[in-house]
Amino acid sequence: MTPERRDSPGQTPDNVSTASRARDFFSVPAPVKRIFDRFPLVTYPSNDLPHSAWSDRRGNRLYVFTDAAGARHGRPSFNPQCLKWQAYLRFVGIDFDVIPSNNHASPSGALPFLIPAHPVNNNTPIPSSKLQKWAIEQVHCEEEQQLDLRFEVYASLLDHRIRNAWLYTLYLDPEEFAAVAKPLYVDPSSNNSAVRTALAMQLQQAARTEILKTSSYIDVGALEAEASDAFEALSTLLGDNLHFFNRPNPGLFDASVFAYTHLILDEKLGWRRNRLGQLLRQHENLVQHRERLLKFF
Amino acid sequence: MVLELHVWGPAFSLPSIDAQCLAAIAYLSLTLPQDAWVLVASSDPSVSPTCELPALKNDSTWVSRFRNIVDYLRQYSNGEWDLDQNLTGLEKADNIAFSAFLESRAQSLLDLSLYVTSQNYYNSTSPSYGAILQWPNQWILPPKIHTAAKDRTEHLGLSSLDLDAIEEQRKREHSAAVAAGHVPKNLIPRPRDTVSSLLGKTSQQNQFKLEALTAELFEPLEEILGDKKYFLHMSEGGPTSLDCLALGYLSLALVPELPHPWLRDAMRNKAPFVTAYTERQRQKIFGIVNVEHALSPNSAKRSSSILPWQVPQRARLATVSSTLYNTLADAIPVWKDIRMHRRIKDEIEENSEIAGIERRMLSIVADTWTKDVWLSVGTVVGGIAALAGYLVWNSSGGEVEYEDGDEDDELQFTLPDQPMQVGDMLAGL
Repeated sequence: MTPERRDSPGQTPDNVSTASRARDFFSVPAPVKRIFDRFPLVTYPSNDLPHSAWSDRRGNRLYVFTDAAGARHGRPSFNPQCLKWQAYLRFVGIDFDVIPSNNHASPSGALPFLIPAHPVNNNTPIPSSKLQKWAIEQVHCEEEQQLDLRFEVYASLLDHRIRNAWLYTLYLDPEEFAAVAKPLYVDPSSNNSAVRTALAMQLQQAARTEILKTSSYIDVGALEAEASDAFEALSTLLGDNLHFFNRPNPGLFDASVFAYTHLILDEKLGWRRNRLGQLLRQHENLVQHRERLLKFF
Repeated sequence: MVLELHVWGPAFSLPSIDAQCLAAIAYLSLTLPQDAWVLVASSDPSVSPTCELPALKNDSTWVSRFRNIVDYLRQYSNGEWDLDQNLTGLEKADNIAFSAFLESRAQSLLDLSLYVTSQNYYNSTSPSYGAILQWPNQWILPPKIHTAAKDRTEHLGLSSLDLDAIEEQRKREHSAAVAAGHVPKNLIPRPRDTVSSLLGKTSQQNQFKLEALTAELFEPLEEILGDKKYFLHMSEGGPTSLDCLALGYLSLALVPELPHPWLRDAMRNKAPFVTAYTERQRQKIFGIVNVEHALSPNSAKRSSSILPWQVPQRARLATVSSTLYNTLADAIPVWKDIRMHRRIKDEIEENSEIAGIERRMLSIVADTWTKDVWLSVGTVVGGIAALAGYLVWNSSGGEVEYEDGDEDDELQFTLPDQPMQVGDMLAGL
C-alpha cells in the first residue's frame, strides 16, 4: 500500500483517485465474489403454517399448559395459574375449548390467555389479568373481591406463601423436579438432551430468582412452615362451608385454592415425597373441597 | 443469657430503616423484660451466618427473620414469651393471613415509596443509609438494596416513578429520533421531568395505579382495625405478632419525612384509624430515636432512648477485607463467571441426591461453561494483541507517509488517507 501511495501525489485528479482507492479497499475481492454469486444453490418452497387439530375450533379458546389427551377431555391443566382460570370459567358456566400451548405462544409471554368466539374474526387475545372482567361481561357473575374484605387478604396467602413453597417443591427439589416437572414442562419441548438440560436449568433458575426476590437465601424449613400456616388459615376460613365465603356456587377464590390443592393432591403427577401433600392432608375440609370441585371436570 | 437483636440502624427517627427489623424490635420490647435483651444496630447482614437482618443471637445460636424469631422465642421461653397464645379459630387464621398480606403488599408499597421514587431515594433513603453504614459497606449495600427493591416492584409497572428509568427511556427515544434523521439534534425538546409533574399531569395512569394499590392495602386494614385498640384484640387482649408486624410496615409508611410523601398522604386519607393507631404505638414502643442513640459510645446518650441499645462492634479488618474481596470479585466480568461455576460445581458435588445421568449432564454443562470462560478470556487477549499489533504496524507506516506528504504536496496533508485516520484515532485512545 505504501509504494502505491507514494505515487499518488503525481497523479492529476487526486481527489477522485483517493476516493476510488477507499472504495477498492472495502469492495469484495473478485474470487470471493464469484463464489458467493453461485448462492443460493437451491430454493425450497416455503413451509405451510403449522396445522393442528385445534386450529379450526371456533368457540372460546383457552390456551393452557396441558397435553393433547388432557385438552381433548378438558382435564385440569398441570399449571396452577392456568388451572385457576380454567376452573373459574368452568365454575361460572362459560363454554370453552382447552388448547395445549406454551409460554412462547402467548402475546404477553404468560399463559393462560383466551381468544373469544365473539365477535368473529376478532383475534385479540385476553390475558389472564383481564379474564375475570371478560367473564363478568359474559355471564354477569359477581366480582367477588368486592363482597368480602378477606378476599384479597387470604388471596395473598396463595399468591405468596403457597406459591413460593410450590415453586420450591416443583422446581428446586431435585427429586420432585426429575419426577414431576421435567416430564411435564421440559420433555415435551425437545428430544435433544442438551436442549432439555438447558431448559431445565432455565426453569430452575427462574424459580430460584423468584423466591430470592423476597429473601436473601432459600430456607426450605421456613417455606414449608409458611405453607403449613397458610393451609391452616385457609382451612379455618373455609370451616364447614361448601365453598369459601359461604357462597352457593364456587367462584374465583375457590378456583385459586383448587388450582393448588388439586395439583398437590393429584397422585397421577407422580410426586415422590410430596411434603406439601402431607401438610395439606392434615386439613380434611380442604381435601373434601378439592374433591367436590373435581366433579366439574 | 442476654439476647442480642441485630438490626439495620435507625433512620427517619425510627429505630430501624427496615420494616422486618422494626417488627422484631416491637415484638421483643413487648414480650421480653427490659434487661433480657439488647439491641445492636450492626447494619451489616454478614454478622449473622444467614446473611439476613433482623437476626437474634443467643450465645452461638443465630435466628433470622421476624417469623423465625417469634417461633424461637416461644420455644426458648417454653411458651411464656408469646403474644399469640390467646388467639382462637378465625383470629389465628386472620393473624396468619394479614401477616402474609402485609409482607407482600406493604413491602412493595414501601419499596415504591422509599426506593423506586427517585426523589425520595436520593434525598432521604440513601443519605440515611450513609449515616448508619460503615466503610466500605456504605458504597456497596445501598445500590444493592436499591436494585433489589426495583426488581421486586417491576411487575407493578410503575417504573415511571423512577427518574433513572425514564431518563434511559428518553435517551433511547431521543437517539431513535436522531437516527431517523428527521429532526435536527438540537431541536428535539428535552422536558425536565420531576416525580410531581409525572404524578401531577403527565401520568394520570400512574396515579390511578398508586391509588388502587394503596386502597388495596389500607382498606382491609382499616376495616379489621375499626375502633378497636389492636388489630385482633380489644384493649384487654393485648397486642399480637400481627400488631408488631403492622407497626413495622406502617410506621415506615407514615413517619419518614420524604420529598414526595404520596404514601403517607394516601394512608392519612384512606385509613384515619390505622394512622392514629400507628402514631400511638410508635410513641409507646419506639419513642423518638436518633442515630446517636444507637451508635454513640456515650452511655448517657444511649439511655435517653427507651430501647436497650448496645454499641455495635467496629468492623474487623478480616470482615472488611472479605467484603471488599467478594464485591471486587463479583464485579469483574470473567472472574465472576469462574466463581459462579465453581459454586455450581460445589453444589453438584455436595448434593448427593442428584441421580447419575443428571449429575453427569450437570457437570458436563459446568465444564462447557468453564471452557466458554477460557474461550472468552482467549478472545479478549487475542483481540487486544491484534489491536496493539495493528497500531504498531500502522503508526510506523503512517509516519513515513505523513512526512512524505508534508514535503511533496499540501493537498495530501489536508486529505489524509482513511487508514491513517483510523490509526490516529485509536492511538489517541
